[in-house]
Amino acid sequence: MSIYLKNFLRFCIIILIQVLILNKITLRWWAQPSGFPVFIPYIYPLFILLLPFETSVVVLMLCGFVLGLTMDTFMNTAGIHASATVLIAYLRTNVLNALLPKNLVEYPNQSPGVKNMGWVPFLVYSAFLIVIHHAVFFSIELWSFSNIGYLLLKILASSATSLLFIIAYLLLFTKQTSLRS
Amino acid sequence: MRNFILFIRRFFNLILFLILEIVCFVLIARTNMLQGNDVLSSANTVAGIVYQKREDVVYYFGLKRMNDSLLNENIRLREALARISGVDTLRDTVVSRRIRAVDSGSLIRYADYIYRPARVINNSVTSENNYITINRGAHHGVKKRMAVLSGTGVVGEVISVSDNFASILSVLNVKRKLSAKLKDGTMGSVMWEEGKPDVLVLEDIPKEIKVFRGDSVFTTSYSFFPPDVLIGTIDRVRINKKNNVQILYLKSATNFRNLQYVYVVENTMMEERKRLEDSTRKAK
Repeated sequence: MSIYLKNFLRFCIIILIQVLILNKITLRWWAQPSGFPVFIPYIYPLFILLLPFETSVVVLMLCGFVLGLTMDTFMNTAGIHASATVLIAYLRTNVLNALLPKNLVEYPNQSPGVKNMGWVPFLVYSAFLIVIHHAVFFSIELWSFSNIGYLLLKILASSATSLLFIIAYLLLFTKQTSLRS
Repeated sequence: MRNFILFIRRFFNLILFLILEIVCFVLIARTNMLQGNDVLSSANTVAGIVYQKREDVVYYFGLKRMNDSLLNENIRLREALARISGVDTLRDTVVSRRIRAVDSGSLIRYADYIYRPARVINNSVTSENNYITINRGAHHGVKKRMAVLSGTGVVGEVISVSDNFASILSVLNVKRKLSAKLKDGTMGSVMWEEGKPDVLVLEDIPKEIKVFRGDSVFTTSYSFFPPDVLIGTIDRVRINKKNNVQILYLKSATNFRNLQYVYVVENTMMEERKRLEDSTRKAK
């Protein structure tokens, strides 16, 4: 399968999972009825995280912009998702360069994944970008720092849950044979 | 010139990044002014169709619950009807004068409501400002700034409309307040504190007014909502020490988590009333 087709399909699948399933899950981190904000996990930044290594920053940012705008259209939050996603798309190459032992050009036709990075570096990579994404997203949505405890709690709980869902996605949609090797 | 081109080539990524972020913030700012977010809202056609398809599937799982809520509403309406028609005028002292057909020409209807049912195809309770999408739009007569009710209470306000869908800003938002009154007519305004989809806040009720747990709070005729629609019942009362007023926490009458059917309410006299009010404000 060509790499463009593959990524386009992944784009559709991730958008559909996010919109049709995850947006319907409203989570509370603890079971008590009030006192903690409700939130939904976001896995759509995963599309940016999984684009091939040699994708240029320009293409990454344009992809992030389109992805964010699509999410904004579905969730009625004009521009908030897009700005957070463009930011992580801009930072992605630098984070990868810092984490990987070799230069990015030396991974031809490969995408970041558990297979070629290992669990720990991949999780550090995705956790870092997801936390940045959520921090930007919730700060813009709340648009004030007067309630900073609430904001931090929301960011932390939300990123942790999003990461759990991203791991679940990876376990579901990665070929098992390649995962074992 | 050459230096300029070199500069652009060197910092092209950063420049593109800044341009995209600026575009995003322009979009956000335009939406927060509450006008013209028609392009990027779930009332547009693609998002509307996706939500409609999902709703077609999920719809069947909620039929039983919806049936129950419709039955309850029927009972409530029948009781209200019985209260009006069931008065025994011979024994009771209430005097009622029948309006004759000749008089009806001189009767002025200052508020005239048309109810349109609609199905909820998308809904959220988790954001700062929550939006609901319904499957009725301009083709079915839905316009901006119409009130939206559920079988049990208030839901929100239509803010953008496409041909077949409409977006509703639900009462669960931090942008707008809602005019409300207690049983005895004391006015106040209802707000929402983000994070709790079942709790609304009614502020600035003087301490002298006695309120009890379980009292109902209704809409007023001051806003575009029809008067005397239930907003919620009082759940908890707190006294603000600073200015000695009561803060009432309401349990909302509508369950926003499983909203399925809503009524879009059109007030046919709203146009005229708004024109008058606007001209008065301008003249001042």
